[in-house]
Amino acid sequence: MSLVKKIVTWARIKSPWILHFNTGACNACDIEIIAALTPRYDLERFGVVLKGTPRHADVLVCSGPVTKQIEDRLCRIYEQMPEPKFVVAVGTCACSGGVFNGCYNVASGIDKVIPVSAYIPGCPASPKAIIDGVVKLLASLEDKEVKVKGR
Amino acid sequence: MHNSKDFKIPIGPQHPALKEPEGFSVALKGEKILGVDIRLGYNHRGIEKAAEERTYIQDIYLIERVCGICSHSHSTCFIQAVEEIAGLVIPARARYIRTIIGELERIHSHLLWLGVAGHEIGFDTLLMYSWRDREVVMDILAAITGNRVNYGMNTFGGVRRDINPEQSREILKALDILEERTKYYIEIATEETTIIKRLSGVGVLSREDVLRLDAVGPTARASGVKRDVRVDDSYAAYGELTFDVITDEACDVYGRTVVRVKELMESYKIIRQALKNLPDGPIAIKAPRKVPAGEALSRYEAPRGEDVHYVQANGTEKPQRVKIRAPTLANVQAVKHMLRDRFLADMPIVIAAIDPCFSCTDRMIALKEQDCAKGKIISWPALHAYSLEWHKKQGIDFTELNKKLAARGQK
Amino acid sequence: MSQEEIIKEGLLKKFNYLEGSVNIVRPRRMSIEVGLDNFMPVFAYLVKDMRLSHLCTITGLDEQEKLGFIYHLTGESGVMVNLKTSVAKASPLIKTVTSYFPGAEIYERELEDLFGAKVSGLAQGNRYPLTDDWPVGQFPLRKDWKASPEAEKGADKNA
Repeated sequence: MSLVKKIVTWARIKSPWILHFNTGACNACDIEIIAALTPRYDLERFGVVLKGTPRHADVLVCSGPVTKQIEDRLCRIYEQMPEPKFVVAVGTCACSGGVFNGCYNVASGIDKVIPVSAYIPGCPASPKAIIDGVVKLLASLEDKEVKVKGR
Repeated sequence: MHNSKDFKIPIGPQHPALKEPEGFSVALKGEKILGVDIRLGYNHRGIEKAAEERTYIQDIYLIERVCGICSHSHSTCFIQAVEEIAGLVIPARARYIRTIIGELERIHSHLLWLGVAGHEIGFDTLLMYSWRDREVVMDILAAITGNRVNYGMNTFGGVRRDINPEQSREILKALDILEERTKYYIEIATEETTIIKRLSGVGVLSREDVLRLDAVGPTARASGVKRDVRVDDSYAAYGELTFDVITDEACDVYGRTVVRVKELMESYKIIRQALKNLPDGPIAIKAPRKVPAGEALSRYEAPRGEDVHYVQANGTEKPQRVKIRAPTLANVQAVKHMLRDRFLADMPIVIAAIDPCFSCTDRMIALKEQDCAKGKIISWPALHAYSLEWHKKQGIDFTELNKKLAARGQK
Repeated sequence: MSQEEIIKEGLLKKFNYLEGSVNIVRPRRMSIEVGLDNFMPVFAYLVKDMRLSHLCTITGLDEQEKLGFIYHLTGESGVMVNLKTSVAKASPLIKTVTSYFPGAEIYERELEDLFGAKVSGLAQGNRYPLTDDWPVGQFPLRKDWKASPEAEKGADKNA
């Protein structure tokens, strides 16, 4: 990797800004994601900041089995994120639909709609698992040049 | 001819408080809200249909996941209805354990709400403090049930896990810690002028409105309506325990805050009683696979209000019909009414004050200015930021209070 | 006399066609079955005279040729009355009860979306809980409806 590219990659993975989006989940995973930001687990010590808009976010942290109503918006939010971007599917519902697999109105998993970089299973995924997943995703990028994917 | 100040603001489905998808559409004239248009459905997962295609035991786990915050409420409400149809009388110990877990859930939910409400008004220190204290309850729940959320405690005929004496002692120790902290929150809620100024007079719902619009839970109790299913239609062990139904006459968001914080104290009382009087005996009885034909309606006082489950059985091992009406759905009309003639900046806290659980019932409200064709989209976080800025200009700013509490440090 | 008995006696005195249709299932639970034509007067009597001022919800049922609707009413006494009526599936027209309970609007919209009921008297408003582009004539909670890409046409990208 050239020096410039190394620095850019380092900057991108050292302090990921995340956007949290719920695609129709029961809330348990979302509460655990927010709990990961509170004093007991404190995700912010890893440089992770929760942003309110997709345009500032590096990582989309997604929960929920993707209901039909939310599918379109999920795509729009994904498209609004600048490259390079990563998607983390939190919870069993986001990975495969969970208990709602096969229900009408549900697409059963985020990877049916947008490409997913990391899966964190659990019902709900505990804050420790969430931190582990995000850190693993970042570590896996360290040696690789973070390519900007064509759409 | 339209005023250039008028504009339509649909707020897209990104909810900051509980991070649930919902959209809001509110008719505005300048700063004042004229009316609210409610659109629900983002969280619709087809659970009632799925419940008909699964056995009763499978349904316990499905229905638990209607909502992650009140999971025990939903699963207990459901299984109570099924047990009634099957004519099962579950052991007393099981009823008490269900009560204890239910109250622990109420504690975690109210502390969660306290933090969320703090975040909505800009008082982030309260969010951090109350969620840190909430971890005490989460640890207890994880120790007894094996999971922080979605406990899986219920089975058809009783509960799955017992509470041994050592766990009882741990619970009591945790309650002592929480009681200390709750007294501190009551002190903040009743004495800090900034909070009182910010929350009083906001989201007013008179007693008559509560009765007309059929609100439930702390939203109703904060307007002096003594409505609590634990007393009105006793279930589990509540008929054998003594506790007060907390009401308040404030009729606004401040009243709802006070009701929830005082309910925490009642929960500690209930759990202590239940642990002291925990009857001996089995924790479950054998239940049939197939439930004879019949129907039953079960009500439960979830942290947000009255939860209603109606179950119809048809003699097979799968239910004929499962109908779930979660508490937040009953408070929808009340929200529409509360927001009328209020300022846009109050929207986040008014909606947060009914403790909405959108996975129980999903929803959307959109803002639109009167007589206007053009539209403008604002995200909820932007509305939240707008709300904080607007109130800072009115002199209500939590920066100093945040600093003061942070300086007091960990208690 | 218990509250349940007071309600039963009041109903039978005022509507003698209800003889045999009013059951006290257990303490705090009653069930009443009434034909659609007589539904409104009985409903009004329960709400106004018997003071059952809280409508918990309205449950829809698929009963093969008919659609059933149970209105769950309760009051301060804690007695829950399940008032049931039915209508032919071929023409499932019922009247709104929003004049008594403004909050019933959302329950009635649910019946329209998921069962295909037609509620007359409902004001203009958004549907609940299905999407605006949900195919017409597909009612998920009817027993003969099965989830499939064809049934949910237009929404599933990977279908």
